[in-house]
Amino acid sequence: MRSTRRVAQHPDPAAGHYSDPPLLVLASLADGPKHGHAMIDDIARICGTRLGPGTLYGAIARLEQQGWIEPLRAQDRRRPYRITAEGERVLRAKVITLQKFARTALGRLAPS
Amino acid sequence: MKLTVARQLVRLYPRDWRDRYGDEFEALLADENPGLGGLADTVCSALRERIFPTFGGNMNFSFATVVRKPSAFIPLAMSLTALVVLGIAAMSGGLVPQRDEGATAHIWQLLMAGQLPVLAFFAIKWLPRAPKQSLAVLGLQLGAALAAMAPVFLLHL
Repeated sequence: MRSTRRVAQHPDPAAGHYSDPPLLVLASLADGPKHGHAMIDDIARICGTRLGPGTLYGAIARLEQQGWIEPLRAQDRRRPYRITAEGERVLRAKVITLQKFARTALGRLAPS
Repeated sequence: MKLTVARQLVRLYPRDWRDRYGDEFEALLADENPGLGGLADTVCSALRERIFPTFGGNMNFSFATVVRKPSAFIPLAMSLTALVVLGIAAMSGGLVPQRDEGATAHIWQLLMAGQLPVLAFFAIKWLPRAPKQSLAVLGLQLGAALAAMAPVFLLHL
């Protein structure tokens, strides 16, 4: 049976990864427009998760459907996307929730 | 990744998706070297897109696009065929109440009952993607079905 102790003794580098593709795409676009390849590299840099092309475009299509990102004019078949005002609002709300969650979880871990 | 492989992978996606994202997705696949994991990810995503299609963005569907889908026009055609069957029977003098149901009644029943699964498929597939256009098509299908049923009830066949 796996235990948290065993995980703590043998830390898995993948355990620190975070993968919520739509949130990662929103976070990547928060500092400016990017096309698919740039988003994949940026997301890998900020959280260690390298999204697959299918997963990335699944997230892009659904975020665009929700009006949280919008396409810009394509440059040489590569289409950049930018976050919308609504997308920024959603990203902020989600990140604040995550921040509260992380603070609480880290606070509970601290005594051990 | 080779452009030919990228092109084949893009073809796994539904046509509407390809029309909207095909070019840029193909360029991304050509840029990236996704490896086996990336290939599996693309195949799974294409499959997911076929089961739970994306709608919205620039992927808006017109009424003409929706009504041309087989699941939209097949029930319409079946109702109209049922009506034509009744018309032919009426012209040949066979449209009178009978104790024992004849071939005309059986054909009519098959046509009317057979369209129900197609109609359900249409509603499940298209209502989430294009609600307004699908409701209009469903209205048309309902109208055609009522037109096919009207003579049966009015003439007490």
